[in-house]
Amino acid sequence: MRILGTAALALNRIWATKVRSLLTMLGVVIGVAAIVALTSIVDGASQGINKSLATLGTNQLNITAMAQDSLTEQDAAALAALDNVSVMFVQAQNQGTIATQDSRVNARLVGVSPQYFEAVKPEIALGSYLSSSSFAATSKDVVFGADAANDLGITKELLGSSVKLNGQDFRLVGVLDDQAGFGTSGRVYVTIDSARKLFSQYPYVSSIVIQANTPEQVDALQIQADVLLRERYGLGVETTARYTITNQASLIAAVGSITATLGLLLTGIAAISLLVGGIGIMNIMLVSVRERTREIGVRRAIGAKQSNILTQFLIEAIVLSLAGGVVGLILGEIAAFFLAVLGDWVFSIRLDTVLLALGFSLLVGVVFGVWPARQAAKLEPIDALRFE
Amino acid sequence: MADEVVRLDKVRREYLVGDQITTALGGVDLVIERGEFVAIVGPSGSGKSTMMNLIGCLDRPSAGSVQIAGDSTNELSDNKLTELRSKAIGFVFQQFQLLPNTTAIENVMAPLLYQGKSTKEARKLATQILTQLGLGDRLNFDRNRLSGGQQQRVAIARALVTSPDIVLADEPTGALDSKTGAAVIELLKDLHREGRTVVLITHDLEIAASAPRRVFLRDGLIERDERGVR
Repeated sequence: MRILGTAALALNRIWATKVRSLLTMLGVVIGVAAIVALTSIVDGASQGINKSLATLGTNQLNITAMAQDSLTEQDAAALAALDNVSVMFVQAQNQGTIATQDSRVNARLVGVSPQYFEAVKPEIALGSYLSSSSFAATSKDVVFGADAANDLGITKELLGSSVKLNGQDFRLVGVLDDQAGFGTSGRVYVTIDSARKLFSQYPYVSSIVIQANTPEQVDALQIQADVLLRERYGLGVETTARYTITNQASLIAAVGSITATLGLLLTGIAAISLLVGGIGIMNIMLVSVRERTREIGVRRAIGAKQSNILTQFLIEAIVLSLAGGVVGLILGEIAAFFLAVLGDWVFSIRLDTVLLALGFSLLVGVVFGVWPARQAAKLEPIDALRFE
Repeated sequence: MADEVVRLDKVRREYLVGDQITTALGGVDLVIERGEFVAIVGPSGSGKSTMMNLIGCLDRPSAGSVQIAGDSTNELSDNKLTELRSKAIGFVFQQFQLLPNTTAIENVMAPLLYQGKSTKEARKLATQILTQLGLGDRLNFDRNRLSGGQQQRVAIARALVTSPDIVLADEPTGALDSKTGAAVIELLKDLHREGRTVVLITHDLEIAASAPRRVFLRDGLIERDERGVR
């Protein structure tokens, strides 16, 4: 018999036992859907993290003070004088409260030097950044991060109006669109001078960010910065520093390796459910071979070769598994779409995910279908015909 | 020389049941010529099922030789034996044994498709033979929508569609009421009249009497080989 005829027989049988076929597929459906959805979660998450890390600049070094009086503006100036430094800005931050007339919430108050906005270039949702006039000594302008703005219910109408930071009046000039940002939740930005009036003391800063001219220079710059600061404070090589230096590029690499491991782990778990699905198919196929022993006997008697029987049962298993894979893929992508909407990631159907899902379900069908199909093909016609 | 479609020479068939050897056929000689209508008769345990399996190319002898349509089955591989069976034998089973979830015409097409014929050709031949047997208006009926007699005619159509050398009927009336059973026997007689070779396996002496030649089996041996209408 030609292969199409055999395939028709297999499909016919699957259709004749619809409910059973659907239940048999379920294991593969769940397994594939889980793999697709989990791959998309890991993808989306690392995409989001990388995006926000990248907005900070891959050629940046973050030097964070370990205590309130560890780093000063003079350190910053010295660092800015190093070779290959293109931008430098400082931040002073602390917890505080922000309030409108109606409500009041906790937030992180961040004082930044003028170069901050130029270096980080956050997306703006309403109004503008802190302008050069904002950095005039007497100015009390504030820009809200997206989360802080949401918490207080800031709308366009409130731009230019007065908000209170730690009880002092500030003028709201803008709202950033930094929702997906990494560690930016509930932040508001003021000038470093304003920050000093609120919580900090001259000349201390909580972090210094320097940016190398090119990404290749970052590693060398990190060593130079460390040597410079150790000299300034007379620290030996062995002494624990007063600060930590974080390299954005190495952070991205670390995040990448974490998400890859996480992805592998989750896919492994999903693969187990696919394995269980495969065993389900094998189980049903073995039952089916037993139930249809007489039919196999009749088919052998009227001219079916062993290979015809083998192919018929194998195709049946493969179709069950592959159909489960297709349904699982669709369900998984639907789940991935909603997860992407919830997590604010970019949703995309990746070709490698599709091929992986279909490839795996095909493999499951073959691996778990071969044995039952061989059992069917090996039946002796006379035994099969006599089977009650 | 007459055309022999079945030739059994000193055929023995032994089975291993547990650690006991059971002899189903203990050295049997039998020749059936083309165009004969032979009943193989015997009680259960007489060896008639074994005889059917050997003639039907479903089994090979332990000793002796079996020749079907000129080919010896002894040394054939499973594949070659299936090919011979497909070409030479048309089975009519007890209880119809139509394939599940298939229509009348699909049942009749199956042997042709297994021979490698195209769907189109198989459909043409199957339609032809079902129409000849009066089932032209039942082609796409499912097994469940056919009466017992109709099912048996589908089974006979399935046996005849490949134009086999031998029509091998195994207790074909076993599952039928006497009237329908009689009609099936008439059908087999018609096939014989058309010149086909018909081998009927039965335990029923009355049914066997409708065949012009009767081979009686007992305990794995031929007890009597009777010819002529009684």
